[in-house]
Amino acid sequence: MFYRMPEKYHTVDVHNHVWFKNGTLDGERMHDLLIASDLLGIEKLCVSVPLTNPYAAPEKCRQANDVTYQAMQYSDRLLGFCFADAAGGEEMIKEVDRCICKLGMVGIKMYHQHKLQDRIQKDLMQRAAELGVPVLMHAAMARNAATIERGPLCSHAGDFLEALEVYPDTMFIQGHIGGGGDWQWNLRTLETIESDNYWIDLSGSVIDAGILRDTVDAVGADRVLFATDGSFEEAVGKLQAAHLSEAEILKITSGNFNKIMQRRKVAVKNV
Amino acid sequence: MFDINTSIGHWPFRRLTRNTVPELKDYLQSFGISRAAVCHNHAACYQNCHDANIELYEALQQDKEGFFVGIATLNPTYAAWQRDLECCVKKFNFRGVRILPKYHNYLLNSRASWELFDAAAEYKIPVIIPNELVNCRQRFWMEPEEALGAGNIFATASRFSDTTFVAMETAFPETPGRHPQNLYVEMSRFLSCYGRKLNKFIAAAGADHVLFGSGAPFKEIEPALLKLYHTELSDSDRLLIARGNAEKLFG
Repeated sequence: MFYRMPEKYHTVDVHNHVWFKNGTLDGERMHDLLIASDLLGIEKLCVSVPLTNPYAAPEKCRQANDVTYQAMQYSDRLLGFCFADAAGGEEMIKEVDRCICKLGMVGIKMYHQHKLQDRIQKDLMQRAAELGVPVLMHAAMARNAATIERGPLCSHAGDFLEALEVYPDTMFIQGHIGGGGDWQWNLRTLETIESDNYWIDLSGSVIDAGILRDTVDAVGADRVLFATDGSFEEAVGKLQAAHLSEAEILKITSGNFNKIMQRRKVAVKNV
Repeated sequence: MFDINTSIGHWPFRRLTRNTVPELKDYLQSFGISRAAVCHNHAACYQNCHDANIELYEALQQDKEGFFVGIATLNPTYAAWQRDLECCVKKFNFRGVRILPKYHNYLLNSRASWELFDAAAEYKIPVIIPNELVNCRQRFWMEPEEALGAGNIFATASRFSDTTFVAMETAFPETPGRHPQNLYVEMSRFLSCYGRKLNKFIAAAGADHVLFGSGAPFKEIEPALLKLYHTELSDSDRLLIARGNAEKLFG
């Protein structure tokens, strides 16, 4: 077993976060993030500031994205994901354009404000497809009342399948198979998936025996992405516990992510 | 290494593998683990949970080398639990007693629990309290809606100072105030690299109050090993957490 991701994997954590503190970037927490990544051999991290209220207004999203951009400027290891809530309408589309086209962010992050396939997402999903960037959505199939009450519109695997039908040109990343919830239900739902626009990340604190092996068996190694969402040892540990082939590990740790990045359709203009 | 968080037996709501004495032992040994405390999963859902202690005792007859230390599971609201405790300690030579208030439908802070804590103190065995067995967010509908809560375990240990407690499957704040000297904490749920949470907790509680545990066969073992590896410790403190403290408690 290895205690640090070997360099040959060029590991990218596709799901992580930076945070506000007193209205600006929490530098200490970001520093902790980079230390943890150094210790565990993670080269790059995709970060966003998640907003979890039922409605995230465009100005709130803009503030969050400014914090993400601050982090990107601090270290080129941090790749920004633009936080978006589709309820912001045209203003939100402009914010996505600002983040992707001007600030150089590489994806869009969504939380549980709306179901992924909801028609309210239409313009945002279309713009993501036009830009050629992925949409990473917080996801779970929660089974306890408190979690369901906190996020009644949280998307699960069934919602992703619907979204792939409704928005066939958009790339989706389902957040954290180990993020808490009935992961087996998610995998059973996904096991016939054939889409080239779907990935799932392996992050989360849940490290049930077999969780990653079952994920790869369900959706294929081409659709799994390495991620921690802050649970670092869990991610590196479950990657090893799955006893994957070298080719599968390479896909999961960086190969699949690099292919997603190659589908980007817009260059970054100077700020 | 001494893994204080393992179990055997089926789990009614999810398939487990490597859940027999020989399979689990082989698996743990493949990671360099040389001893383990083990309880029986059936105890969570048996009405008369002592039957699971008997199953554990019978299963451990296959373990001639004494790799495993048996841990009883008891329900202090059920008939004859005191006799069951005596049987587990004196006949089965089990070295600890686990309680599962959320599965057995009573409160941690209740007369039944208090009586068990006192009895465990008399036998000089630790009371093991898992914060949860399965993450409540993925619960089968018959399982608990929420975990016990680290704060409740902490308060219990603070109140019953004559009883030794082991908290499992939970992380405590790194600065919990004065850490009760009778409370030991299994480390598999702490963050190690990110924010150095485990290091901060050890600084507050003392390396002599932290125990290595994996959660096998429910959980993958590798994350717990990574957490211990990346915790900044002196050699002597690392040894305490890896096995010394567990040997002292479960011997």
